[in-house]
Amino acid sequence: MKAGAAVGRRAGITGKRWVFISTLAIMGLLLFVPSFHNDYINLTFRNILMYAAMSYGWNLIGGYTGYVSFGNVAFFGIGAYCSAVLSKTGIDNVFADVGLALVMCALFAIVVGLPILRLRGHYFGIATLGVALGLTDLANNLDFVGGSGGLNLKQADQAHFYLYYYAMWAVTLVCMLATFFIARSKLGYAFVAIRENEEAAQVLGISPTRYKVIAWALGGMMGGAAGAVFAPANGFVDPGTAFAVDNNVFPIAMAILGGMGTASGPFIGALLLSGVNEILQEKFLWLHSLFFGAIIVLIVVFLPRGLMYLVGLRGGVRRWLSDLRAFRV
Amino acid sequence: MTEARDVCLRVENVGMRFGGLRALDDVSFEVERGTILGLIGPNGSGKTTMMNVVSGVYKPTSGRAVFEGKRIADFPTHEVCHLGIARTFQVVKPFASLTVRENVAVGAMYGRFGAKRSGKDAFARTDELLESVGLARVAGRPASDLTIPDRKRLEVAKALALDPELLLLDEVMAGLNHTEVDEALHLLRAVNERGVTLIVVEHLMKAIMSISKRVVVLAEGKKIADGLPLEVTSSPAVIEAYLGSRFAKRQQQERERQT
Repeated sequence: MKAGAAVGRRAGITGKRWVFISTLAIMGLLLFVPSFHNDYINLTFRNILMYAAMSYGWNLIGGYTGYVSFGNVAFFGIGAYCSAVLSKTGIDNVFADVGLALVMCALFAIVVGLPILRLRGHYFGIATLGVALGLTDLANNLDFVGGSGGLNLKQADQAHFYLYYYAMWAVTLVCMLATFFIARSKLGYAFVAIRENEEAAQVLGISPTRYKVIAWALGGMMGGAAGAVFAPANGFVDPGTAFAVDNNVFPIAMAILGGMGTASGPFIGALLLSGVNEILQEKFLWLHSLFFGAIIVLIVVFLPRGLMYLVGLRGGVRRWLSDLRAFRV
Repeated sequence: MTEARDVCLRVENVGMRFGGLRALDDVSFEVERGTILGLIGPNGSGKTTMMNVVSGVYKPTSGRAVFEGKRIADFPTHEVCHLGIARTFQVVKPFASLTVRENVAVGAMYGRFGAKRSGKDAFARTDELLESVGLARVAGRPASDLTIPDRKRLEVAKALALDPELLLLDEVMAGLNHTEVDEALHLLRAVNERGVTLIVVEHLMKAIMSISKRVVVLAEGKKIADGLPLEVTSSPAVIEAYLGSRFAKRQQQERERQT
């Protein structure tokens, strides 16, 4: 009995257990998407998976560690360019693409993270904005990666086209499971301790800079892996697609909608927001971004802790309103 | 005192300035292993600043604090607990979204013996500790739900999870009622009997006098008394610092009239 209770008490750090199991079940179903043999459905769901993976990446630093990054698209872009450069040198292999992206993103996270993650609070967020903008500019001006014209990648022939879907599915599954196990490990508790109170964490023996960099690097590797699969699937990479604003904002909104600092939140958020976005694009071709933006604002105002919070809510509307008040000035 | 004094912490001429403010001015004292030292003083006398110096949160602008032969300022804050120093915060700092058990486990994971512990071992150690400080009954609750006395207990439990040799307690009894203070004193004595040296910062004179084996008094950043609890309370300098110079003078006159 004691062991069971112990597991239950740890649920706060990953979210409800049955939610995570349901999430895995949905992931299982998504394995059958290619059997529709419909390129539109395939692309839509591959994008959902891609955003989910990026959202998991953002979730480690923004959700678990409490350091909101506005530059995580940098990792996606680096991953995409890793694949493009490999393709240029004649290597067209998804495993090589992802492997290189993981190494490059980890290195980049450490080199850039060590100085900017020494900063506390909002300054980190501002610095990450600069990182994303700087990389866009760099890509625009480096002839080696095609400059503003971008690079074409050799794609698998049509018979194997769905390979990219499965690759993205695998990347997302690994991100999901990694988040679950990291969160429950000692590492996860260091991240959350820093989020909840950095000074108290420090006095308990946690080096804030070290664990913030670890969180950023692990999350960066997740975004990078998504980018590395996206590039060959898309067949083309340029600064505009690799460092797209949508790729920066969507993963954040998805993590917030699903529930920051949970193992299911990013996936659920990606599924729902992508669905909403599809419908909006169909109904309002011109103004869909406006409605989409409004939805993000509504989420932040009324559900700042996401759907995972609603799932665990006991006490109904009254409790919800009083918790909301705690978020206000 | 015939036995050689076994000192674990030596505070040597510590000064701490914040801009023009001199929060600590040339303060020196020693703490013997296994003792309970009371650190008292009026508001703004530098008690919490001293706690921050000894726990490595502040680097003193002059002088030094030496624990077991090591200068505390040479270590980053997060490594001070690995030397064997733990502290509580005057304004408690629980990890609000984590349960009580998880809060304490973080200390057990990253404290002095944390590197050797797996997550599971850390939780096992935590369960022992929660039992001993009387928090086992709320182990599964979020820390944000706790009552004030339990928050103070949690603060102590987190510090104990670091397996300290020296424990700094910053006003853990403030805001507690009589029974709760008695319970807290009982807990602190039990911790001390397990071999942990304590430095207790407190406002409540009565509580601190009953528990301390020695008392150091600070006023306006300077040490004004250092001795047994009874000696210290009768010191004119201490009375003046606490109750004002006029009261001290009047008491002095009364004493002279009586003799």
